[in-house]
Amino acid sequence: MSNYEVKAGPEAFLPPAAATMGNVLPDPGEAHIGGKLVPEDDAYDLAARKILAAKVPTIFPGPLVLWKWTDHVAEKAKALRELAVEAPMRLIPMADYRPKYPKIIQEYEINPNHPNLTIWHNKIDVCIFIGVHCHMANLSLKIIRGGTSCYTIAMCAMAGHEDACLSFRDADLNMIQKLTAKIKKLKSEGVESQAEPFTQFVMGPSGPLTP
Amino acid sequence: MSKEKIVLCEDLADIMPPEYQELVETATFGNQDRGWKDIGSSKELIEQHSLCAGCPESIAFRYILASLPAPEDTVFVGSTGCTSLVFPHVAVHNIHSLFGNQNAIASGLKRTLKARFPDVEKDVVVLAGDGATVDIGLDMTMQSWFRQEKFTTICFDNELYANTGGQESGLMQKGFVAKMAPNGKNFEKVRLPEIAREAGCAYVALLTVSKPNRVEQAIKNAIYVAREVGPTFVQLYTPCILEIGKQSMEGLDEMKESESIGGRFVQKEYITEEAQKLLDSIKEETKARKKAAKAKKPVNA
Amino acid sequence: MNKQVETSDRKIIASKHVKLGQKNQKGQTYTDVNDIFYKAKQTPSFLTGSEVIRAAIKIASVGTSVAYPITPQSEAAALIGELYSEGYLDEYFRGESEFAVMGQCAGAAFGGHRVFTTTAGPGTLRAMENFPMWAGSRLPIQVCVTCRGINSPLSIQPDTLEMHYLLETGMLVWHAETAQDLFDFILKGFIVAEQPDVHVPIATCCDGFFVTHTKDTVELPPDDICLTPYDPYRNPQPVMDMETAPIRMMRDPFVMKSNYISYATHASWQQEIKAAVERSRKHTIPLLDGLIDEHNTDREILVVSSGTAVSQSREAIRLLEQEGIKVGLVKIKTIRPFPYEEVRQATKKAKHIFVPEFNVGGWLAREIKACIPDNERVYAGPHVAGGMTMPSEVIVDEIKKHLGMETAEAVSLG
Ligand SMILES: Cc1ncc(C[n+]2csc(CCOP(=O)(O)OP(=O)(O)O)c2C)c(N)n1
Ligand code: SF4
Ligand SMILES: [Mg+2]
Repeated sequence: MSNYEVKAGPEAFLPPAAATMGNVLPDPGEAHIGGKLVPEDDAYDLAARKILAAKVPTIFPGPLVLWKWTDHVAEKAKALRELAVEAPMRLIPMADYRPKYPKIIQEYEINPNHPNLTIWHNKIDVCIFIGVHCHMANLSLKIIRGGTSCYTIAMCAMAGHEDACLSFRDADLNMIQKLTAKIKKLKSEGVESQAEPFTQFVMGPSGPLTP
Repeated sequence: MSKEKIVLCEDLADIMPPEYQELVETATFGNQDRGWKDIGSSKELIEQHSLCAGCPESIAFRYILASLPAPEDTVFVGSTGCTSLVFPHVAVHNIHSLFGNQNAIASGLKRTLKARFPDVEKDVVVLAGDGATVDIGLDMTMQSWFRQEKFTTICFDNELYANTGGQESGLMQKGFVAKMAPNGKNFEKVRLPEIAREAGCAYVALLTVSKPNRVEQAIKNAIYVAREVGPTFVQLYTPCILEIGKQSMEGLDEMKESESIGGRFVQKEYITEEAQKLLDSIKEETKARKKAAKAKKPVNA
Repeated sequence: MNKQVETSDRKIIASKHVKLGQKNQKGQTYTDVNDIFYKAKQTPSFLTGSEVIRAAIKIASVGTSVAYPITPQSEAAALIGELYSEGYLDEYFRGESEFAVMGQCAGAAFGGHRVFTTTAGPGTLRAMENFPMWAGSRLPIQVCVTCRGINSPLSIQPDTLEMHYLLETGMLVWHAETAQDLFDFILKGFIVAEQPDVHVPIATCCDGFFVTHTKDTVELPPDDICLTPYDPYRNPQPVMDMETAPIRMMRDPFVMKSNYISYATHASWQQEIKAAVERSRKHTIPLLDGLIDEHNTDREILVVSSGTAVSQSREAIRLLEQEGIKVGLVKIKTIRPFPYEEVRQATKKAKHIFVPEFNVGGWLAREIKACIPDNERVYAGPHVAGGMTMPSEVIVDEIKKHLGMETAEAVSLG
């Protein structure tokens, strides 16, 4: 049994990959919270509460949901937008994985090679990874855990992520909608979003259209 | 990937970085007549990179990317060297892997793409430095030609190992004093175009990147011939201004000098009969297509 | 692990392949790996190890295989060529060197094929630069390593020294004892290595000649069923086919150039490869029936071994038993990931642990010493190398000698 708890950091100069500490990924129908396997249904509540309690909750959509490379993806993107509006959460894309040159603009993008910069700059305290290829998501999640205090949630379409503080697996459209519904429900029960007021940026082909 | 699939999800498009929004709006994916002239009027497939200011490799990359007949179905294979600083910023899939094994990677890749997508022409293009192509990788470069692997090999010939700081390479001129050739290189520049011809390349071109139209034609020829006939090779002089002590503005002069009569890079081509036939027929087709398109356009009074 | 994986489940996740039940071009039905091994009728066949490799690849739905001759894998590699000409593989050719072959395999895997190759000894070392590249690039290529000598003077004979060089490449490394193991490992190896949370290369190793060139009875499933094909889109990285987002994508970019990047990226990348190897445990345990096999591990004297040294040890244990000396056995099947916990548990009661190996380095003994308490219990030996056999009597003798017992005349090595 692993005793390694995956918590928000900052954890270490170079934290270990949770899998090498003995943490295993959830089976279908399960999720993990802090490394502990739980039924998937139990994870929505905590994820929703974390999002509502955060000051700067943010979704990081990756290439797999940003590009309309299948029809199914467009539906996911729509559901993500609905989640962002409902919570509310900011949206900051991880558009690709290259070591961008000369640098990223931290307000508007996140990069797997130094995701901590975006977290720090925007003071993001809870985030969701979705549509990021697993290898790149794992690098990011671990670097975030190492150097920031951000609570990380992975909505993974494959086997999940031990390096996130909370991870779903086999995430599909329905699961995104379930999370949105959960947030809505909690709000109706009186749990208020603690998010700082913000305006979602709108980007155009030649730069930001809103400040 | 068809051009239609290179689009953003509507609901998230307006958070994408500007370079991607531009890419889907104005890049010339799916336009078979794309070419170097699109540079300036449409989004290029290359973003900012960290080559030295004025490095001719940079302009060579832009011409090549503008000239690809079907970037939406092209995969590049690179190698270690200055080019690998550019590749992450190029909007086509590409592989680095190791130093010198680029033609081995491309052999496996091309065959796999052919098997997985029998109805789509997936172009595989190798682009590597002279050290990678001739010295450490010569075996794999030539063997892929012997085996008649159907992809294009492009060599950025800067006549030295630039990325490691200017050491002697096989394509360096005789007598040039460089790191690891303290008394000057004591053998001739390897005659790679001739080696390529003898090893089985159906189309071979040697030129500098001083004239974009020539680069475009060589790249297009090489890719078309690789699709139908056999391996092709393009050697481009991209002088390393840093290591030969030139200013950033002097690359063009250096190339022009080297391609004038008696120079090392006077343009030459070796084309097999079969390849020539193919190129002639493509030329005819293109002409006819453009003519037909013109005829269709309403004439302005 | 925070959840015990039961070997009895015999269930590997992700067998809901779209092609399950469909037929391929050769009329073989795509079948779940659990069903191939645990439901289909197995028929005994008397085959050499090379023929067993052929039999496995025939039902493995391999896309590309690249070959290069080196004893003792040449025959297997050529037999795969026959399968290709019969239409069982999409691509097959002879490369120009092992270095090139592994590059060609990488190209095929980057492009989305299931890839299989074989090599041995000097070939493994010639190819070496590719292995960590495969792992770092998350390519689930399978290389069957039929171990032979690697050092001068040249030897084509069995010797497992080369496996030591594979241990930190980021590959899964499995060690087959018998032809049956080899058959099972090849097929199961693809399934484990290709899991999206694992997705790293795998070296299925066996001892050259002892396994490749001797005939053995092997239980084989029918050859009108086959593994479900590799799904390149169940991948932790984009496939290099220009069909996946993002299109601005280099799978293995230079992240270390100090002008833009943190070195932590490279370190984290390496950790992620290690993590991927760790994740394979969960999938491997049910499929291989555990990472180790145990027999009588409650005994004070244990032999812990891998490969054909296990077979020799089994016989040695039988001989010792006849003399009233009771010895237990641990067979290690996966060297990477190493079954630390399993070995710790299995050796809990042992006072003496013998590790016979077919190499002069004694790498397996070192692995064991590094993971158990009171490791002075480990006796690294006996060792043979360079193609020597390891007669069971030698193991018997060494155990007795070390324990201060009377031994027979020194065994003649003839
Ligand atoms: C196996 C191996 N040997 C040596 C190197 C070091 N190395 C990196 S780039 C390079 C030179 C590249 O020269 P070239 O191919 O001409 O490309 P350029 O940088 O000139 O564009 C060398 C020797 C390496 N990366 N790998
Ligand atoms: S070192 Fe030479 S080849 Fe490399 S980027 Fe600078 S000028 Fe170009
Ligand atoms: Mg060079």
